[in-house]
Amino acid sequence: MPNQNAQKFKKVLSLVVEPIALGVLALLFIIPTITVMNLSPITKKLQELNVLGANTQATVSITLVGGKHPILTEENLNKASDISYEYSTQITGRGADSYSKPIVEIKNNTDKAQKISFYGQTVNQTQSNIFLRTDRDEAIKKIQDDRGQTYTQEITIDPSSKIVVFLSIENLASVNFSTEFDLQIKVIENL
Amino acid sequence: MSKLLRRALKISIVPAILLIAGKFIGILCTSIIYNLNFQISNDLNGLFSVQIYYPDASTTLFVNSISNLVMILFVALPLAYFIIKTTLYHTIAHNPRTIVKMTRFNMLKWITSKDTSFLTMFIWCAFLWIASGVTIAHTLQGSTYPWVGIVAGSVALIASLFTIKTFEIETDNIYPTEHKYY
Repeated sequence: MPNQNAQKFKKVLSLVVEPIALGVLALLFIIPTITVMNLSPITKKLQELNVLGANTQATVSITLVGGKHPILTEENLNKASDISYEYSTQITGRGADSYSKPIVEIKNNTDKAQKISFYGQTVNQTQSNIFLRTDRDEAIKKIQDDRGQTYTQEITIDPSSKIVVFLSIENLASVNFSTEFDLQIKVIENL
Repeated sequence: MSKLLRRALKISIVPAILLIAGKFIGILCTSIIYNLNFQISNDLNGLFSVQIYYPDASTTLFVNSISNLVMILFVALPLAYFIIKTTLYHTIAHNPRTIVKMTRFNMLKWITSKDTSFLTMFIWCAFLWIASGVTIAHTLQGSTYPWVGIVAGSVALIASLFTIKTFEIETDNIYPTEHKYY
């Protein structure tokens, strides 16, 4: 009798353990997959920390928004100095239309309002109007007109606030070639 | 619990650990060798909160590519060892020349049935498929060099062919084909 009971118990135990073991086997495949995908590094501006681990940076920081866009490709943002940045992108061939994309995020980490200037142009003349716009208001700021004339524009950012700057391109005829667009962004004044 | 399930569990542990270790060691070694700045931080958007950050896109692309390649090698090299061992183990039964060659190269210890089962190779091959799948997905997303994706795909394909060959050999032992054994 005790032998029969032991065998019955073994049978029931195997019925319980087998699905759990199958689950563990599945997890042995799933967990490494998720871990490996999660371990894949991503790009982000590294924080500058002091020895106490607190961020003491009190400047205007400009970061690339990035992402994919059919017309604006190969975006780059280089820090030329503490107060100036150089943004560049490739504007590809396009049909007659208006195009817009968020390009940079500007954060004013100081306790004063900051004035930022923008000056840019395309390498080749494309008979397009190029504007800047922010997420703060609907005002458009012309950077280059369809005759190639360039304009310097300024935007004021309130203390401890951030704005996203959009680059807009408008052309009345289709353009069949690519050209590079360069934009100089400069912090010009503590207000 | 069935014997097959117990064996499958036992065999799966090592490649699972190697897969994660390969990726981690790949990231760590690349960062140390090329003196790259990186940051481990929390990001609550993903499934796991811990993320590794690099300051620019080109560095991220480079580190991700090399770490994916190291991960593939960590799984592919032991699998290649099992494939060679299985091939030798099954070749010596029909070809005495192989025994002579192996004696000359002092490789007689390799002729054992250990690690030559189809289950071992299938599980290792499954982990290689996972590693290759992740690498190819990264390549399609543009976060890994295309040549790394091509290498991963080729290695997975070759390993799959050899695993199928092992399966054929094992089924031949159970159900021998007429022209070979009768």
